[in-house]
Amino acid sequence: MAKILIPTPLRQFTDKNDSVELAGATVAEVMAALTQKFPDLRKQLFNDEGKMRSFVNVYLNDEDIRYLQKDATAVAASDTLSIVPSIAGGSHGDGHGSH
Amino acid sequence: MIRINETAWAAMVAHAEATYPNECCGAMLGQTKLGTVDGDVKNVTLAERLENAYAGAQGARYEVRPQDLAAAEKKARAAGLDLIGIFHSHPDCDAYFSKTDLENSCPWYSFVVLSVKGGRFDHANSFLPNAEQTAAEKEELIWPKS
Repeated sequence: MAKILIPTPLRQFTDKNDSVELAGATVAEVMAALTQKFPDLRKQLFNDEGKMRSFVNVYLNDEDIRYLQKDATAVAASDTLSIVPSIAGGSHGDGHGSH
Repeated sequence: MIRINETAWAAMVAHAEATYPNECCGAMLGQTKLGTVDGDVKNVTLAERLENAYAGAQGARYEVRPQDLAAAEKKARAAGLDLIGIFHSHPDCDAYFSKTDLENSCPWYSFVVLSVKGGRFDHANSFLPNAEQTAAEKEELIWPKS
């Protein structure tokens, strides 16, 4: 079974587990198993259309699955999946403040 | 409520001032106490500088490289700490949560914005964005000498 590392703020949805081991042949299958086991996690990771939220990245070991086969990437029992958000920003954009 | 200790706060302000006139960014590590008389209290005890990975001019933009964030999360786990939030600076600009901040945020973390004016720290605020990236609630922020 593959291991999924759960970021701190999401552990409230995984019975406080910081990692979960789940079966699945692909990233999509493992992520589906994760949200099936912990349904409250689903809206954190997926939007109403069932697509992964734009800020959610999944890493297989140390590789971003976007640069592999995305959610069709094969997962082995010895693999570790990490959920890592995209974060950016800046004061530029709407003319607010004293910039 | 998010409370930042003296060591972490000094590191955050130093990073923001040293990076001026560009925006800085970093990760805040610590522990969360749930259900205190003040509600859930996040205590930040360690601030990790992260490289601003934004490819263009960085005076009004920042970007955290996901693998750097993954490394910060790993460091937190190893130290028995939680990754509580992200900080970044607004050079010569108020510490508000801009449209750009909101559209590139994540609802899982506290976002502390430090205003740096003329190279010196001016003020700061903390925000909690929603999952739809459409609104951010202001969070009580306590830093040393605030």
